[in-house]
Amino acid sequence: MIRETRMKGKALFFWAILSPALALMVWLTAYPMLSVAVTSLQNYNYMTDTRSWVGLGNYGDILGDRLFLQSFRNTLVFCLGTTLVEVFLGIVLALVFYGDFRGKRTFMILAIFPMMLSTMVVCAVWKTLFHYDIGLLNYTLQSLGLERFGWLIDKNKALSSLALVDIWQWTPFSFIVIQAGLASVPAEIFEASLIDGASSRQRVFRITLPILRDQILLLALLRTIDTFKVFAKVYALTGGGPGNATETTSLFIYREAFSYFKFGRSSAASMITLAAVVLMSAFYLRKILKEE
Amino acid sequence: MAAYVAKKRGILFPLALASILFVTLFPIYWIIVTALKPSIENISPVPFLLPHNATLANFAALLSGGYLRNLLNSVFVTGASTLLSLVLALLAAYALCRYRFPFRLNQAFLIWIILAKMLPPVVLAVPIYEVFMKAKFLNSLWGLVLVYQVYTLPYCIWMLFGFVKSLPLEYEEAAEIDGASPLQVLGRIVLPLVRTGIVATAIFTVIVAWDEFLFAVLFIRSPELLTLPLVIVNFIGEFETLWGQLMAVGLLAALPVLLFSRIVYRHMSTAYALGLK
Amino acid sequence: MKRFLIVTLLVLTAFSVFAQAAKKPVKLVIAGRDGDYGNAMQVAVDAYTAAHPEVSIELLKLSGDDIYQKSVIDLRSGTGSYDLILIDDPKSLQFQKAGWLADLGDYYKKAGKQADPDFIQSLVNLCRYPNQPSGKLYGLPFVGNVSLFAYRADLYKKYSLPEPKTWTDVLVAAKKISENESGVSGVTFRGVKGNPIVTAFLPVFWAFGGELIDAKGQPSVNSPEGIKALSYFLELAKYAPKGVSMNNTAQVRDGLLAGTAAIAPEVWPAWLGSMDDPTKSKVAGNVRVMKHPGEVTKSAPMIGIWHIAMPAASKNKDAAFDFLVYVTGKEAQKLMAIQTGLPPSRSSVYDDADVLKLRPWYPAVRDALVNGKARPRTMVWGEIENVLGDYLQMALIGDLKPDAALNEANAKLVQVLK
Repeated sequence: MIRETRMKGKALFFWAILSPALALMVWLTAYPMLSVAVTSLQNYNYMTDTRSWVGLGNYGDILGDRLFLQSFRNTLVFCLGTTLVEVFLGIVLALVFYGDFRGKRTFMILAIFPMMLSTMVVCAVWKTLFHYDIGLLNYTLQSLGLERFGWLIDKNKALSSLALVDIWQWTPFSFIVIQAGLASVPAEIFEASLIDGASSRQRVFRITLPILRDQILLLALLRTIDTFKVFAKVYALTGGGPGNATETTSLFIYREAFSYFKFGRSSAASMITLAAVVLMSAFYLRKILKEE
Repeated sequence: MAAYVAKKRGILFPLALASILFVTLFPIYWIIVTALKPSIENISPVPFLLPHNATLANFAALLSGGYLRNLLNSVFVTGASTLLSLVLALLAAYALCRYRFPFRLNQAFLIWIILAKMLPPVVLAVPIYEVFMKAKFLNSLWGLVLVYQVYTLPYCIWMLFGFVKSLPLEYEEAAEIDGASPLQVLGRIVLPLVRTGIVATAIFTVIVAWDEFLFAVLFIRSPELLTLPLVIVNFIGEFETLWGQLMAVGLLAALPVLLFSRIVYRHMSTAYALGLK
Repeated sequence: MKRFLIVTLLVLTAFSVFAQAAKKPVKLVIAGRDGDYGNAMQVAVDAYTAAHPEVSIELLKLSGDDIYQKSVIDLRSGTGSYDLILIDDPKSLQFQKAGWLADLGDYYKKAGKQADPDFIQSLVNLCRYPNQPSGKLYGLPFVGNVSLFAYRADLYKKYSLPEPKTWTDVLVAAKKISENESGVSGVTFRGVKGNPIVTAFLPVFWAFGGELIDAKGQPSVNSPEGIKALSYFLELAKYAPKGVSMNNTAQVRDGLLAGTAAIAPEVWPAWLGSMDDPTKSKVAGNVRVMKHPGEVTKSAPMIGIWHIAMPAASKNKDAAFDFLVYVTGKEAQKLMAIQTGLPPSRSSVYDDADVLKLRPWYPAVRDALVNGKARPRTMVWGEIENVLGDYLQMALIGDLKPDAALNEANAKLVQVLK
C-alpha cells in the first residue's frame, strides 16, 4: 500500500516535471508543424489568400524541378562534408589537446572564438578574404608565385569554400563537446590501458571512441541538422551562384516562402527536406535511443 | 597524437598549437584590422596587413550610435531564453531518463522535438507568427524568448538527456533510501552531478540565441526592442557596406559571449578539479 | 554564476517594464528603409515632429527584403501595425491589387487638395493602379531613384575617348582602357544572381530594344534584340574583373572608389556624394556620371523608386496622410536633398539653386529619371527576377551561350507567368 502511493507520487512528480517542456513544445510547434504538413498538399498563395487542394502535386512539381534537385544535391554534399570534417577534426583536436598544459584556458577561449562571432560578420570577412581580384588569400597565393584560386567564382570550388567557412566557424563546437566528453572519462581507464601496453592507436579505437560513442553520435546528429539548414552563408557569400553551384534547399524554400509567398510549394519542399534529414539521422537516432 | 594521455609532449605539440591558433585567429585578425582602417584603406586593391593610419573612428561611431539599448535587449533575450531552456530541459531530461511514460511518450517526445528542429525555420515562421499574434506575443522581448525555444529547447533536452543518462544510479538510490523526496534527489544529487553538462550546453544555447535573426526580424517591430543581429545587418546596406563599422560591431558583439564562455570555462575546469566529473 | 544570471534577469525585466515611457496622443509607425533612405527620412521625421509636437513617429529602418516580408505578413493579417509603408515599385502591383492600401484620392478630396503636378510624372504613374493618370492613387513617390552610368573622365581624356553615346562606344573604351591601363579594369558591374545581375543588365537590354514582357503579356526575353543585348553584355564582361560574378553593390562601389574600374554602367545616386570625397575615394573629382548610353533605342535607365503607401488597416490615417503629404512635399524633399543627398521625386527641387550648389550632379539624375524606364508591372516580379538572374549568371560564367540562356529563361518564364 505504502509502496503503491509512493509509486503514484513518483509518477505524478515525473509528469509534473515533464509537462512544462511538453506543453511549451506542443504550443509552439504542434500547430505550425501540422500546418506545414497540410499546406504541402495545397496550392496556397499567401499573398492572394487562395488555397486549393492539389494532393501530391507540389511534391511532383518540386521533385521534377531541376533547380530543386541541384539544390538538394548541393545541400547533401555540403551537409555530409562539413559534418564529417567537423566531427573528425573535433575528435583529433580533443585528443591532441587532452589534459593540462600551460595556457590551456587561454588557448581554449581563443580556439572557440569563431563560433561566437555574428554570422553576418563571419560572412563579410570571408567574402573579402575570398575575393578573386583583391582578396588577401589570392594576393598571398600570387605573392608566392602560385595561381589565383577561384574561391567563390569557380563553380567547382564555391561549395567547398562555403564548407570551409562553416568548418572554420563550427569545428570549435565539436572540439569542446568531445573535449567535455573526454574530460568526464576517469583518467585511470587510460592509465590502465597504458600499463597493459596498448598502442596509442588501440587506445583510441578500442577504448576512447567506444566510450565517447554517444557524444560523437549526438554531435554528428546536431551538426547534420544544422548544416542541412545552411542558409546565411550561402545567402551572404554567393547568393547560390556561380550558376547553381551553391544553391541549397533552404535557399529554395526561403525564396518560395518569402519572396513568392507560395506556401504550398515551400511546405512541400520542407517536407521533402525533412524526410531526407530524418533518413540521414535515423542511423544516429536509432543508436542513441536503442537502450530506451 | 603523442600528447594523448602520455605526460610528455613532443616538439610537434607547440607547432600544432601554433598552427591551430593561426588558422583560427587569422580571419579574426583581419576583422580587427579592418575595423581599425579608415574607409579608404579598406578598398585598396592590394590588401595590406597593418593599417597605415590606424583609427578608432569606427569604434567611436558605434559607441556614440546609441546601441547600448540593443545590446541590453540581446543580453536579456539570450539570458532569459537560455535559463528557460536549461531549467525546462533539465526537468524534462530527468523525467525522460528515470521514468517510463505510457504510450512510448519518451521516444515520441524526443523524436517530435528533433523533428521540429529539423524543419527549416522559414516555414515555421508564419504559422508561429499567427499563434503569437493571437497570444499577443508579437513585438515583445518575452515573445522572442519563447520563440527561441524552438531552437534551444530541443537541443538542451537532447544534450542533458545524454548527460543524465550517463549518471550512475547508485547515488540517487542511496538518497532515496535515506528518505529524500524526488525533488530533493533532483536538486541535491542530480543537479551537482550534471553541472558541467549544463554549462557545456549553455554555451551553444547562448550562441544560438545571441545570433538569431529570422524570428527577431519578423516578430519585433519597435526600434527600441531590436536585438544586436538586426542592428549588425544594417551596416551591410543596399548601396554600400560600412566595412569598418561592421567589423567593429562584430568584435564588440562577440565580447559578451566571450566573457560568458570564460566564466563557463573557469567553472568547468574547477568542477573537473573537484572531481565532480 | 546562477545567482549572477538571476540578478541580471531581474534587473533587465524591471528595465523592460519601465521602458514603456509616456505616450503622445498620436503615434505613427512607418515601415521605412535602412541606409541612406532611412537617414533621409529621419531628417524629415525630425523636422515634422518638431513642428507637430502632438505627433510621435516610430520610423523602422529595414532592409529591402525585410520590409517586403514584414509588410506582406502584417497587411495580410490586417493588424494595422503600420501607418505608412515603403514599397519597391516592381512589387507595388501586388499591394495595389490585394486591396491592402488606402486610396489617397479620398484623402486629398477630404483635405480639399490635389496631388500636385510637380511630381515627376513617370514616378506618380507607378503609384497609380492602373498605371496611368486616371488610375487610383495608392501612394506617393518618396525618392527619385534611378540607375546611372559612371565613367572615369581622366582616363577617357588620357586615351582621348569621346563621351559615350552608345553602348558600342562603351565597349571600345572598356577595351582600350583595360588593355593599356595597368591595374584598372575597363568595367565593373554586379554579377550576383537574382536582383543584382538583372538590374545591371536591364539598361543594356532595353537600349538594345529588348522587352521582358511583350504587348500580349508573354515573356519575350529571348527576342533577337534580347540575345544581341546579352551577347554584347558578355563581350563587355571580358573587360570586367574576373570575380565579377560575385560582385555586389559593395564590390562595385569599392572598385569605382578605389580607382580599379574605369566604367561602372550601373551606379546609384546614393553613391554620388562619396565620389568627390577624398577621404572615401582615391579618384575624387575624376568620376563623371550621366544617364545610360543608348543603342538601338534611346537611353533606358532603370527607375527604382520606393513609394510610400498607407495601409487600409492603419488606425491613424488622417495623421498618416498629413505626414505623407509633408514628406513627399517640396519642403521636405529639399531638406532631405540638402542634408542627405536623397534624389528628390519633384521637378522643382531639381531646379532649386540651393540644392544644385551642393549636388551638382542632380541634372544628370533628372535626365535619367525623365528618360527612365520602369520594370514591368506584374504580380510575379520576384520570380521573374530570380529566373532571369539565374540564366544571366550562367551565361556570364560561360555555362550557357547567350541564345541558349535566354531561350531557357523564356521557357521558364512562360511557366511563371501562366
